[in-house]
Amino acid sequence: MEGRIIVVTSGKGGVGKTTATASIGAALAMEGNRVAVIDMDIGLRNLDVVLGLENRIVFNIVDVVNKKCKIRQAAIKDRRIENLFLIPASQSDNKDILSTSGIKRTAKTLKKEFDYIIMDSPAGIEKGFENSVVAADEAIVICTPDVSSIRDADRVIGLLYARSITPKIVVNRIIPKMVAKGDMLNHQDIMEILSVELIGLVPMDEQVVISTNIGLPLVMQNDSKAGQAFKRIARRLNGEIDLPIEIPISKTGIWNKISQKFGLTK
Amino acid sequence: MNFENNLSVKLKGVGDGFWVTLNPLAKEAKLKKDISQLFERLKHLAINAKVVIDIGDGVGYDELISNIGLFLKEKFDVGFVSQSPRKKSKPLKRIRQRDLSKEWAHHRSDVLMIRGRVRSGQKITTKKHIVIIGDINPGAEIYVGGDIIVMGKLMGQVYAGYPNNDKAIIIAIDFKPTQVQIGSFIARELNKNSSEIRAKFACVKKSIVVIQDYLKANPFKDIPWPEVI
Repeated sequence: MEGRIIVVTSGKGGVGKTTATASIGAALAMEGNRVAVIDMDIGLRNLDVVLGLENRIVFNIVDVVNKKCKIRQAAIKDRRIENLFLIPASQSDNKDILSTSGIKRTAKTLKKEFDYIIMDSPAGIEKGFENSVVAADEAIVICTPDVSSIRDADRVIGLLYARSITPKIVVNRIIPKMVAKGDMLNHQDIMEILSVELIGLVPMDEQVVISTNIGLPLVMQNDSKAGQAFKRIARRLNGEIDLPIEIPISKTGIWNKISQKFGLTK
Repeated sequence: MNFENNLSVKLKGVGDGFWVTLNPLAKEAKLKKDISQLFERLKHLAINAKVVIDIGDGVGYDELISNIGLFLKEKFDVGFVSQSPRKKSKPLKRIRQRDLSKEWAHHRSDVLMIRGRVRSGQKITTKKHIVIIGDINPGAEIYVGGDIIVMGKLMGQVYAGYPNNDKAIIIAIDFKPTQVQIGSFIARELNKNSSEIRAKFACVKKSIVVIQDYLKANPFKDIPWPEVI
C-alpha cells in the first residue's frame, strides 16, 4: 500500500507546527508504522533539534530533491523509536531552491518506502508553504485559541481547499483554566469559524519546553498531557476514527486546590 | 427642441389639424412673422383647421399663446386653437397599481447570491447587491456596489455601496463585523465583544453609519408595497 503524505501547517508562526510534527510522527512510529518526518522549513530548520537528532545530519531534503543523495542516505533513523526517520531541512539554502517537479518526484519515492510522511511546513503562505503542500494528500492545520492564529488558519484552510485538500484541525495550547473563566476562546467557538473536521485538542504543557530542549519526543514522556493528546491524534490518523476527542479540563476540586498549595500537584 | 433655419416656429400636420411648436423665448413679433410665413404657404388649408400650440416645457406663456391664437384666427381664419396637453405627473393611484402590476415580473434585480463560508483572505467584489447564505469569517473582505445581506455570522470586513453609494445598507443575522463601510463613511465603535446574537442593520444617517437592531428598528416598514431594488 502507498504511504500517505500529511502536511502540518498553520499560517501563523509559533503555534506548534514543529512540535506537532515531531510528536505525531513519533506516535505513529510507536504504533508500528514506518514514518518519515520531513522538515520543509528550508533555511530555518528546527525539527532536528526537537527530535534531538541535530548532530547526525549529513544530507538534507534539498540534497534529496536535487538528486545529490538517495532518500536512504538523508533519512536519519531515530535510535529510540524504531521506524521513525527524519529528513532534515537545509540550513544554508533559500526556500526557492526546491522545484515543484522535484518535490513531486521525491514524494513518489517516499510514498513507496514509508507508511506516513509528515511534512513540517514553514510559517507563511509563500513559496515554502507551496512546496510543502504540492505533494500532500492530507493536511493538519494547527491553531491556538487566539484570534490572530484563527484568522491565519482560516486563510490556510481556504488555500488548502483550493488545492482539493480537506484539512483537519488541531487546537494547540489550550489553557483549560482560562477557557473555564471565559478569558480564552473555547474550541467550539474556534470550530464554528473554521468549520472543518477537528482531530484533536492539545492542552498547554510545560513539558513541551523541556522535551524540546533535551530533544526527547513529547510522546515518550508518559506524564505529558500534550504528549498524550498527540498520541490520540496519531491514533485517529491511523484509523481509529471513533476515538473520542478529549476536552482538556482544569482540575478545580477542593483536594486539587489543597494539594496545589502543598506542592503535590502542578 | 431644435429650431432650424432661424425660424422660431415649426409646423406639423396632425390628423385633421396642425401642430405649431413655438419657441417661447423668441419675441412675439418675430413669432407672428414666422407663423405668417408658414401659414401663407398653407393657403386655404388653414381655414377652419384645428391648431394646437405647443411651447414645449415652458411655463407661464398663457398670454403669448392666447395672443398668437387670436392672431391666427383673425389672419388665417383657423377654426379652433388649443394648447398642447400638459404632461401630467403620475397620479398616486397609478403608483399604487404597481403592486398589482407585479413590478418584479419585468424588472431585473441585480443580486449576486452566494452560498457557503467566506474565509480569511478571500475577497468578493461585485457591482451588484450581495446575499450570502453562510458566514463571513474574520479577515474576509466583501466589496459591493449595492446592499449586503448576510444570512449568517458577519465577522469580516464589509463595504456596501462601493465606492460612493451612501444609500446602501448592510443586514446580518449575527452582526459582528471587523469593519463596516457604507459609501464614503466608515462605522466607528463597533461593539463586537457582545456575545448576544442579534440581527442588525447598518445604514448612513446624517453622515454617520448607524447600526440598529433590525427587528426593533424595522427600517422598511413604511414602504407600503414591494419594490424592486
